[in-house]
Amino acid sequence: MLELAPADLQALWLSARVASVATLLALPIGFVIAWLLVFSRVPCKPLLDGLVNLPLVLPPVVVGYLLLLLLGRQSLLGGLLNSFGIQLIFTWKGAVLACVVIGLPLMVRSIRLGMEQIDPQLLHAARTLGAGWFDTLWAVVLPLSIPALITGGTLCFARSLGEFGATIIIAGNLPGVTQTIPLAIYDYTNNPGGEAGALSLCLLSIGLSYLVLMLNELIMRRLGRAKRA
Amino acid sequence: MKPIVISPAALLLFLALLLAVPALAEEVRISAAASLTEVIKELVGTYQQSHPADRLLATFASSGALAKQIVAGAPADIYIAANPQWMDYLQQQGLIAAGSEQILLRNRLVFVGPPDSNINSLEALRSLPLIAIASPKSAPVGEYAEQAMTAAGIYPQLLAGHKIIFAKDARQALLYAERGEVDGAFVYHTDALLARRVKPLFVVPQELYPQVVYPAALTQQGADKLAAQRFLRYLSGNAARQVFQNYGFIFR
Repeated sequence: MLELAPADLQALWLSARVASVATLLALPIGFVIAWLLVFSRVPCKPLLDGLVNLPLVLPPVVVGYLLLLLLGRQSLLGGLLNSFGIQLIFTWKGAVLACVVIGLPLMVRSIRLGMEQIDPQLLHAARTLGAGWFDTLWAVVLPLSIPALITGGTLCFARSLGEFGATIIIAGNLPGVTQTIPLAIYDYTNNPGGEAGALSLCLLSIGLSYLVLMLNELIMRRLGRAKRA
Repeated sequence: MKPIVISPAALLLFLALLLAVPALAEEVRISAAASLTEVIKELVGTYQQSHPADRLLATFASSGALAKQIVAGAPADIYIAANPQWMDYLQQQGLIAAGSEQILLRNRLVFVGPPDSNINSLEALRSLPLIAIASPKSAPVGEYAEQAMTAAGIYPQLLAGHKIIFAKDARQALLYAERGEVDGAFVYHTDALLARRVKPLFVVPQELYPQVVYPAALTQQGADKLAAQRFLRYLSGNAARQVFQNYGFIFR
């Protein structure tokens, strides 16, 4: 039933790698942004909120195009990175960047929901006991946000597995280098006789996504049981 | 406040109105390859002026995506592909009206780059750091570029040196070249005419890759539609020839 060519296995491995790295990068960034939005008194909160959420409403193609403009060889930032020997465009790191930007809104939303449910009395208690903002963050907010971090991480990982529009623009579609599962499926569907390959990869990505979501469910249940105990 | 009551009958009527499709006898749906977008839009506009009774609806996507839509039952009366493979695919499924298929247009493969570049042959591509082509597995234009470079004996070397970027399609390869992200790209002659910051540096010799042909045909659904037959005749006639040529296509 599953007919996987070597290039498909490479795509699977690359997808897993890109999604993992993107999730690991987005976790701390998402945590800090969510914390800023919930607890801090920074000005222009709605502006920050809007900026983070923009990739959720923009077509991924637009995000990819903007990243290309921002980080291309001809751009200021891209030129600067290039002089340090960092090349993002047309590499798997570019795909990671696309996934971070696209997955961040989901991450921030989940963590934010978790943080908003923290009992304010706990924070007051921490403060009356002499904890500074960092101590409160480290000893109260972070441990209580762990379920939200896991959910945010799962969503970001799952979204990264499916990322197509932005990735194909800033990373290209090179088998073994930047071709993730969705890009490989696109190649197959545009080929007469590519049905079997496309279907195999579709089943694979359904399986992978289910696995991730079920893993999340399992961990959340464990956490819930630990909390009650 | 009085609660608003919606009777199930009214709801059903509303749904029925939403789903109702106005029956138009002379509606012609055209599924055309993405590289024809601009030219077909212009031709449809011109044609509508002289045939106001016919309603033409054109949709554009990659030839493969359109073919799969037609297999899945999407409404399409005329199908124009950017390569014969997908036309054959539909023919094998019995979805093309017998005898209506014809080669409508031809196109050429060119290499574009910055105007000040001195690249003028395939062999000279060895000196470039980065070249964009459309992904050969998903876009015929990429396949042709791959075949031409293979025939010139430079492809394995370029690929091994990570000098080739696979873009989604010819337009995206052109975008990379225009933005200066790559030093040149293989695109159709017609795409190159749309570019502003790059120009064709050389035409790829025809003996190195198969002819780029655009077959057009009536589908099984459109076979008996007079309006569809009329528009297909118009596309292969003299009035359309000039427009196609303006966009850089070779007429038949």
